[in-house]
Amino acid sequence: MTQQLAGYVPAPVTARMENHGSHMLKVALQTGHDLLARVGSMVAYEGFIQYEPNPPAVRQIARDWLTGEGAPLMKCSGDGLLYLADYGADVVVINLNGDAISVNATNLLAFDAHLTWGVERVKGLAKFAGQGLWNTKISGQGWVALTSRGEPIVVDCGGGEDETYVDPDALVAWSPNLKVKGKRSFKAQSLIGRGSGEAFQIAFSGQGIVVVQPSEDSTDRIRFRG
Amino acid sequence: MARQFQRGHKARISDLTAGTDLYVGVQISGPGLTFDISCFGLDADERLSDDRYFVFYNQPKSPEEAIQLLGPQAGDTESFRVTLDRVPPQIHKLSFTATLDGAGQMSQVGPGYLRIVAGGEEVARYAFDGSEFSTERAVMLGDLYRKDGWRFAAVGQGFDGGLEALLRNFGGEVLEEEQEAAPQQPGSSSAPGFAPPAQPSPPPAQSFAPPAQPSPPSPPPAFGVPSAPAPASPPAPAPAPTPVPEPAPQGFAPPQGSTPPPAPVPSPQVHAAPTVVAPMTPPGGTAPPPPPAPAPYGQVPAQAPPPPPGYAQPAAPHAPAPPPGYGQPTPPPGYGQQPSYGHQVPGPPAAHGVAQTVPQGAPQAPGVAAALQKYREAPTGQRWTLQNSKLVRVDLGIGGRPVLARQGSMVLYQGKVDFAYKGAGFAGRIVGNATGQEMQLMRCTGQGQVFLAENSAHLHPVELQGDALCVSAENVLAFDESLQYEVRRIEGHGIPGGALFTMQFQGTGTLVVKTHGMPVVLPVTPTTFVDSNAVVAWSAAAQVIVSSQVRMRRNAYPGHTGEGVNLQFRAAPGNFVVVQPYEV
Repeated sequence: MTQQLAGYVPAPVTARMENHGSHMLKVALQTGHDLLARVGSMVAYEGFIQYEPNPPAVRQIARDWLTGEGAPLMKCSGDGLLYLADYGADVVVINLNGDAISVNATNLLAFDAHLTWGVERVKGLAKFAGQGLWNTKISGQGWVALTSRGEPIVVDCGGGEDETYVDPDALVAWSPNLKVKGKRSFKAQSLIGRGSGEAFQIAFSGQGIVVVQPSEDSTDRIRFRG
Repeated sequence: MARQFQRGHKARISDLTAGTDLYVGVQISGPGLTFDISCFGLDADERLSDDRYFVFYNQPKSPEEAIQLLGPQAGDTESFRVTLDRVPPQIHKLSFTATLDGAGQMSQVGPGYLRIVAGGEEVARYAFDGSEFSTERAVMLGDLYRKDGWRFAAVGQGFDGGLEALLRNFGGEVLEEEQEAAPQQPGSSSAPGFAPPAQPSPPPAQSFAPPAQPSPPSPPPAFGVPSAPAPASPPAPAPAPTPVPEPAPQGFAPPQGSTPPPAPVPSPQVHAAPTVVAPMTPPGGTAPPPPPAPAPYGQVPAQAPPPPPGYAQPAAPHAPAPPPGYGQPTPPPGYGQQPSYGHQVPGPPAAHGVAQTVPQGAPQAPGVAAALQKYREAPTGQRWTLQNSKLVRVDLGIGGRPVLARQGSMVLYQGKVDFAYKGAGFAGRIVGNATGQEMQLMRCTGQGQVFLAENSAHLHPVELQGDALCVSAENVLAFDESLQYEVRRIEGHGIPGGALFTMQFQGTGTLVVKTHGMPVVLPVTPTTFVDSNAVVAWSAAAQVIVSSQVRMRRNAYPGHTGEGVNLQFRAAPGNFVVVQPYEV
C-alpha cells in the first residue's frame, strides 16, 4: 500500500511556490516572508505556521472588496510547508519577477505579502451589477497562485483592431495594460427572454494576454462554504 | 495507405499528411533483448544543445510538450506524439533512436518498423530487420528534420557503442551541462545514489541525470526551508526506494541498463481521454478493421486533435483500425483497460512515474509569460481545435458555416461574431415536453474564433462523414450547422422526466460531445445494458434507423436497487455505446 501511495509524497522543495499535482499548491514559508492566502484554502501544513484572518493591513487595501465585510484573505506566517487548494480547481503558479497581472477575485489563491497589490472594480463595468467584477492587480518580485476550474487557456489579444470578448464568469486573469470595457451584445429580442445566453461580455483590447477557464462556474466556493 | 520507406528515403511531411500532429510509433524487438527508445531534439549543428529535448523514459516530454513519450501501445514498442508546429525554432531535427539495454547486438533484432500516424491514419512506415545491422548496439531509426518545412528521413544507421556513443555523437554540450550540474551535486549528499561515481564512464551517465530534473537551473535561494534543495530532485527514488531492482546503484544511468523497461507510462491519470477504448480495435493495431467499423466514436481519441481539414477521406471513418490515437495512452485492445491498470498498479514503476509527473517543478522561468506558457492557445489552422481536454475552439472563418452551440457555452471569442437565439422546431419540441429541461441553442455566425466550454466537462469533437450518431441531448455542446439532426424520444416508465431525449446527427461536419469525466466506449453485444442517466451516445450505424436498432427494455428490479432503468442495446457487431462515469 505504501508503495502505491509513495508516488504522492511531496517532491523536494525547489521554489517558494510549487504545484503538487495540478490541483494543489505547496508553499515553502519562511519567517519574514509572509503569505496572503484565501481564507479557508489551507488543506494541510507542516511546521510552525500561524494564520491571521483579515489582518488590518489587508483590510485597509481591500476595504471595499465584495460586500465590504473585509477581504477574504488570511496572512500566513512562520516556517514550514503549507498546502493550499480550492475545491479541486487547477492551480497555476506564477513567478511575477516584476511583471504585473490582474486577477479575478475568486480566482486568486495566494500571493506573497510583500507584493504590491490593490483591489479595484473593473473599469467600465461599474454599472453592471451581478456579482460585480472585482479584480486584484498584483505586481512586484514574488509569487502568485491562481485557481482555474479546469485547465485554463491563455489567449493573446493580438493588439489589432479586433477586440477579444470574454464571458465574465470564465475570466481568470489578464494583463493589466489591456483596455477593458463591457459589452452588451444582446439585441431587442433578448429582452423578451430569448437571448443567446451570452448577453454580456468583457472586451479586451491592446497588447497582452487573457487567461480563461473552461467553465462558467465562478461560484466562490471557499467564501460560500458557510 | 501508408507509404513504405527504405533506408535513406526522404519525404516532405506535407506530402504525407496535412497535419502537424504526428504519432510516431517504433516497434523493435528481439529474443531476450530490451530496448530504450528515445528521441533527440537536435539544433542546426546536430547537437543536443538543450538536454530537455532528449525525450526518453526518464523525461517523457519536452518542456513545451511538443514531443511526448506515450509508452507502448497498439503493437508499438514505444510511441511518441510530436506536434511539429510547437517544436521550438532552435530544434532542427528530431532523431528517433533505439538502443540496446543489456547484452546483445542489433543483428539479433527481428523485423521492426518506425511508423508515422497522422489524422488517424498511418502515413509512413519504415520497416527494417536485423539483417541490416551487425554488432551495433544502437540504431538511429529515422529523423524528422526541417528543410523548407518538416521532412522525414528513414535512416537506419547503426552505432557501435550504444547509447553512450549516441550521446557523444550528439552531445558536446551534454558534457558541459554535466559540468555545470556537477557543482550542485556535491552540495547535497542525497544525490550520489543515482549517479554512481564508480561508473566507468561518468560523463554520459551523469549527463543523463540532469534531464530528469526540472530544468530550471537555479533553485531559488531565498526559500531554503527544507533540507537541501536537492539539485537533482529526481523525485522518484526518494519516495520509493525499495522497489529499485537489483542494479540499484545505477538507478538512473540508462546505458548500463537497470531500466525498469517502459517505466514512465506517461502518467495515466493526467491524460486527456485515455479510457476511450476504441471499440473494435484489434490489439494488433495495424490489422485491418473488423466489420463496418464504428466510425466516428472509435476515432474520437484519434481525433482529439482533430484531423487536418485536408484529410477529408471518405474512407476514413470506416476506419482502418483507429491507430493508437493521440493522447490515448491506453492501448486499445478491446475491453482492455486492464493493461493500463497493470501499469498503474505495480508499485515501483508506477509510483516512480507518478512522482515524476505529479510535482511539476517550478515554472521554467520567472515572469508571467513564462509561467503561462504551457497554457498557450494551440495554433490555428483548423476549423475545430481542441485546446485542452475541456476547451474547444471553432474558427468560423474556416468553412464559413455557422455553428450551433449550447447557450452560454461561449467563454471567449475574437473577431466579429454574432450570437443569436436559435429557435427551432426541435428546441421547441424539447421544451414542450415534460422534462422541464430546455435544450437551448445559439447560432454563432461571422468571422472569428469562438472558444466553447461548459462546466469543465470533457469535450470530444467527433467528425461525422456521412454517418450517424445518436447523442443524448444533454451531452451536445456544439455542432456544425451543416449536420442534420432530429430529436428522438425514448419513452419508458421510470425514466426521469418520462422520456430520454436524444439527438440523431447525420451528415458531414463536426459535433462536439461533452462528458463528465472520461467516457468508456463499449461495443454492443447481445448483453449490453446501460444506465439511461449515464449514456452519452451510441452509433446509429449509417442508413439504419435508430429505433430499429436500439430497443429499450425496462428491467424492474424489485427492492429498488437504485438501478431501475436500463437501456439495452441491440445491434449488429461494430456498433458501440458511449457511457460517462457520471449519472446526470
